Amino acid sequence: MTSRSSSLDAVVAEVEARAGAGLARPGVAADAIDGIVPGIVAQPPTPVALATTLAWATETGRTVVVRGGGTKLGWGASPGSVDLLLSTTAMNAVVEHRHGDLTATVQAGATLAETNAVLSRHRQWLPLDPPWSDRATIGGIVAANDSGPRRQRHGTPRDLIIGMTLARADGLMAKTGGIVVKNVAGYDLARLLTGSFGCLGVILTATFKLAPLSEASRTVSVAFPASARCGPLVADLLAHASTPSALELATPPATMLIRFESVEAVAVEQAEHAATLARDHGGTPVVLTGEDETAAWRGHDARVFDREGTILKLTIMPADLSSTLAWLDDVATARQLDYVVTGRAGLGVLFVGLHGVVSEQATFVTALRERLPVGRGSATIQRADPELKALVDVWGPVGDGLRIMQEVKRRFDPTGTLNPGRGPGGL
Amino acid sequence: MDAVFLAELERIVGPDGLVRDAGDLLTYESDALVRLRERPAAAVLPDTVDQVQQVVRLCHRSKVPFVARGSGTGLSGGALPHPDGVLIVLTRLNRVLDIDIPNQRITVEPGVTNLEVTRRVASSGYYYAPDPSSQVICSIGGNVAENSGGAHCLKYGFTVHHVLGVEVVLPDGELAHLGGEALDSPGLDLLGVIVGSEGTLAVVTKVTLRLVRRPEAVQMLLVAFDSTDAAGNAVSDIISAGIIPAAIEMMDRTTIRAAEAAVHPGFPDAEAVLIVELDGPRSEVVALFARVEAVCARNNGWGVQVARDEAQRGRIWMGRKAAFAAMGRIAPNYYVQDGVIPRSKLPEVLRRIRQLEIESGLTIGNVFHAGDGNLHPLVCYDAAVDGQADLAEQVATEILTYCLDVGGSLTGEHGIGADKACHMPKMFTTADLETMQLVRAAFDPDQICNPDKLFPTPRLCGEVPGPYRAHPAEIAGLIDRV
Ligand SMILES: Cc1cc2nc3c(=O)[nH]c(=O)nc-3n(C[C@H](O)[C@H](O)[C@H](O)COP(=O)(O)OP(=O)(O)OC[C@H]3O[C@@H](n4cnc5c(N)ncnc54)[C@H](O)[C@@H]3O)c2cc1C
Repeated sequence: MTSRSSSLDAVVAEVEARAGAGLARPGVAADAIDGIVPGIVAQPPTPVALATTLAWATETGRTVVVRGGGTKLGWGASPGSVDLLLSTTAMNAVVEHRHGDLTATVQAGATLAETNAVLSRHRQWLPLDPPWSDRATIGGIVAANDSGPRRQRHGTPRDLIIGMTLARADGLMAKTGGIVVKNVAGYDLARLLTGSFGCLGVILTATFKLAPLSEASRTVSVAFPASARCGPLVADLLAHASTPSALELATPPATMLIRFESVEAVAVEQAEHAATLARDHGGTPVVLTGEDETAAWRGHDARVFDREGTILKLTIMPADLSSTLAWLDDVATARQLDYVVTGRAGLGVLFVGLHGVVSEQATFVTALRERLPVGRGSATIQRADPELKALVDVWGPVGDGLRIMQEVKRRFDPTGTLNPGRGPGGL
Repeated sequence: MDAVFLAELERIVGPDGLVRDAGDLLTYESDALVRLRERPAAAVLPDTVDQVQQVVRLCHRSKVPFVARGSGTGLSGGALPHPDGVLIVLTRLNRVLDIDIPNQRITVEPGVTNLEVTRRVASSGYYYAPDPSSQVICSIGGNVAENSGGAHCLKYGFTVHHVLGVEVVLPDGELAHLGGEALDSPGLDLLGVIVGSEGTLAVVTKVTLRLVRRPEAVQMLLVAFDSTDAAGNAVSDIISAGIIPAAIEMMDRTTIRAAEAAVHPGFPDAEAVLIVELDGPRSEVVALFARVEAVCARNNGWGVQVARDEAQRGRIWMGRKAAFAAMGRIAPNYYVQDGVIPRSKLPEVLRRIRQLEIESGLTIGNVFHAGDGNLHPLVCYDAAVDGQADLAEQVATEILTYCLDVGGSLTGEHGIGADKACHMPKMFTTADLETMQLVRAAFDPDQICNPDKLFPTPRLCGEVPGPYRAHPAEIAGLIDRV
């Protein structure tokens, strides 16, 4: 026991020599990922310190998981072991806001909320609204390519990122892209790292194009007697000149939230138009603004993400919305699973919160995947008990690109140091 | 190339799919960057994806390099053939495979032209957003390889924002499907790195694109300024006012005059003009248009022309698009540079270019995508005058240095290709380049897929006296004079 803890002390000292004094400690239960407690937790204050610590881990054959806000650490397969947990939260500066250029460079450990507070001084923002944005860090959001309702207008981190610095497993620091919005010099490694779930390298800083804050916002909240009404309204809205910044559904009970952001008169006019269309489709619309609007969106976010239980991410062909919702309801009911769906009605990206017997959930996921040929949809598990993760692959089929993905992983991280085995296809 | 290999190629693509005679190969010796030329050992024109696969497998087996080519409009020598290799010309793969309006998708073969995509869906009220000026002829495969942009990318993004999925033939001849018709396929975003990889990772054989609904309203204005500084400041002020127009283009005195002489668009005789186009819901366009006019007025803009109808809008765009070709009226030869700067640095960099114009004695015209800081300086020269071609090149290279000085990029849309490979170390460190090479090695360990492009190689940058080789002494001299 004494010898073990003294050897642990020695390792902590090794990490401190690289990450900085007082910045490493043994892992504790609160650090656990799917029940696995990391050996050491370090919080390097600078990119160089992080890269040096990472290089040491690689050289000494240790496994590494990177943690930002810790909001998505349960995503991915359960880790076999975590020797070193590298926290990015000490690197949390908005490095530069070039407001005249509508771009900003941010360190990986800054939270989205902190970042947007700084950017708002010049009436701009990084137009992402993923769940838990008060805690989720830029690095984590980029690594997961996470986004929220306003993806309808602004896309995902992949669409906004214009440059990145990263630390490779061997500790080499590299830059890709730049600070300009248009740039085709060299391979776009920033996009490759975006959504790579920390398996290729550690994101140190990211540079984004930003959006101006809109002057006015209105949200049409629509209650429907049945979810089957959502699909036709979406098709109708998009076929008209409507340009919502968010187009969300939630069910059961079937509701939609349709947001318009522009100058005041336009937001009002488009919201009224949407309300009329919603009524034509048998819905009961209310136009919200101010605090009511904020509350409606908070409530919407909470419906799946603040609930206990499994979260599935589902992508489908947008026109298959109604049939998918009907299928979900039939199968969940038959398997006595309690469920709620929210998501991007215009884009075919849905989130399913699921409760019930684990084996029934596993059957549900498998059946869902059978409906979705590779390339025409996917069902991935974002959060689940290790018990469910043991029954079904969290990612589902990846398709024939897997071979090259594995090869890319092998080239970037030949020792399998970073997040080993947790990514799609066991990357 | 030995006879057995050629016979194999012919067996795969048939006699009418194989080009091997020197005369016939002339067409394929260069892309639109005509000063770089190379004759391929053979060119093939496959009809089917299966034939592409067979050709690539054959090359892989014999370690013969191959280069994909679309319409050959590239401006960086990306489709420059390899002297010992096979040029795979994809123009016969030009079928539209699926039009899916309910899902706002279209799937095409790579040889389909950019404009054809829009033509096919226009009647349903949709279009394909990226609009390179070469859209009448350039291919979707080439667009994917170059991550092509156009005037309207300011608001709508580049090719990478509009490609949902691709089918590729990997350098070992196997097929892979990256991305898909639905969003967010699980796995690494290899699609994101294929786009813009300039044909160095795989041959693209099928592309699914996102379609965009035609906006309800479009409004455009043309406004004149007494200096490029004032025009540049107006661009920054429009963006700072929270307005993202569909396009903001700038032309300077030289290119205005050239366009006027060529197609008479009725541009004012000014130091600079801006063309600003807004689109979206009608009421939004009207509201923001008034603000753009106010910003221009605050920056002492004058001679405002508002396009009242499609005809007038077409006329103004024609003037803008004719500017390149029209430079032929001003000088016998010109050199098109493509560099990017942060848009707030426009006034500063344009001033440096103006100074360089005076110092070098060569006329430099500017016509470019001001909204995203993508400069296209046109350096005029007369090849008949001894040394002018070299000087023009040095001047063009010097402008790239200005771009990098302010944190910009070597290229915004024309690509690195063979043209700028030797400049890459000016923008990226060895570690950066080596990290990019990891991707290349994963896709193409044998380095047979469009080798010698994009990355600096000794063959390209060490020994061969290419037109773009750095002339440190002379450039230093030029800097001194500036
Ligand atoms: C007058 C003119 C105006 C232009 N305007 C613009 C503009 O506004 N914006 C802009 O971005 N560009 C512009 N360009 C550049 C050019 O048109 C684009 O780069 C275009 O995308 C090239 O397409 P292409 O089919 O001609 O490709 P090519 O020139 O044939 O090839 C370009 C590159 O793509 C690769 N490639 C081609 N097909 C495939 C495939 N199927 N799979 C893999 N790799 C492939 C080639 O190997 C090469 O590296 C312009 C060019 C000209 C001549």
